[in-house]
Amino acid sequence: MYPSSYELGGRMLNFASMPDITGRKHTFAPWLGLLLTVSGALSNGLPFIGFPAAPVPWMSLLLSLTGIVVVLIGLWRIFGRSAVYKGKISGSIAAAFSLLFLAGSITFFWGARHIPSESANAPQVGQRVPDFTLPDSTGHSVSLTQLFSGDAGSPPPKALLLIFYRGYW
Amino acid sequence: MRGIEKSLPEFQAQGILPVAISVDAPEVSENLRRKRGYTFPFLSDPKAEVIRRYELLHPHGGPDGTDISRPAEFLVDRSGTVRWENFTEDIRVRPRSDELLSAARSIP
Repeated sequence: MYPSSYELGGRMLNFASMPDITGRKHTFAPWLGLLLTVSGALSNGLPFIGFPAAPVPWMSLLLSLTGIVVVLIGLWRIFGRSAVYKGKISGSIAAAFSLLFLAGSITFFWGARHIPSESANAPQVGQRVPDFTLPDSTGHSVSLTQLFSGDAGSPPPKALLLIFYRGYW
Repeated sequence: MRGIEKSLPEFQAQGILPVAISVDAPEVSENLRRKRGYTFPFLSDPKAEVIRRYELLHPHGGPDGTDISRPAEFLVDRSGTVRWENFTEDIRVRPRSDELLSAARSIP
């Protein structure tokens, strides 16, 4: 005889509410913490999808640090109140990965800001910039004066926006 | 620089020509231009001579301790005078196109 739907439902219900033999609960805190530290690391990519870049470094750091606090709460539950919470192994794994992501985020945060803090002798507003001649990406030499003279057909620019960047090597 | 390329018509309308400068070799810059579709000029300063003259050197900032340029932007008018400049404190944070464009508006 096939079990009635009532019986099936009853069994499923039974299964879902089957008490853990130790009676201890899982805590999701270490995993939530890990999720936060991973989000912190990933948030560095936000400017690439059009998000304003200025708050991103701090947001990334804040997310990672919040994540670690949540992980610590989880560890405190698991190890400090082990009569109530279980998951020592999974909690430790989540904590280890969170730490790894936090270390990465901090290293990146520090590294991204580790640039000469001031360029005191760089040209200041109101000063003249030195002229120069450099090869363009096709290898042709171009001087500052030539850049001001404009291409054939296009009017000469009123100003140049010189963008110095780190390069992709 | 993606933002600048996207706003290039507005820069051109204001008479602003963006020029990118780094220690990258011309081939590297040309690759980047082709890959990302940049149409403004890229200049190569592999020995960081101009970067040094502009006092923008980031010593040992590149891979294998090579000298590279720190990130910086200058608006230079026809007389060669700096009208606006920006030195970022974090390599992830560069000025937005609208900031650059509003700075450019003050140049006659």
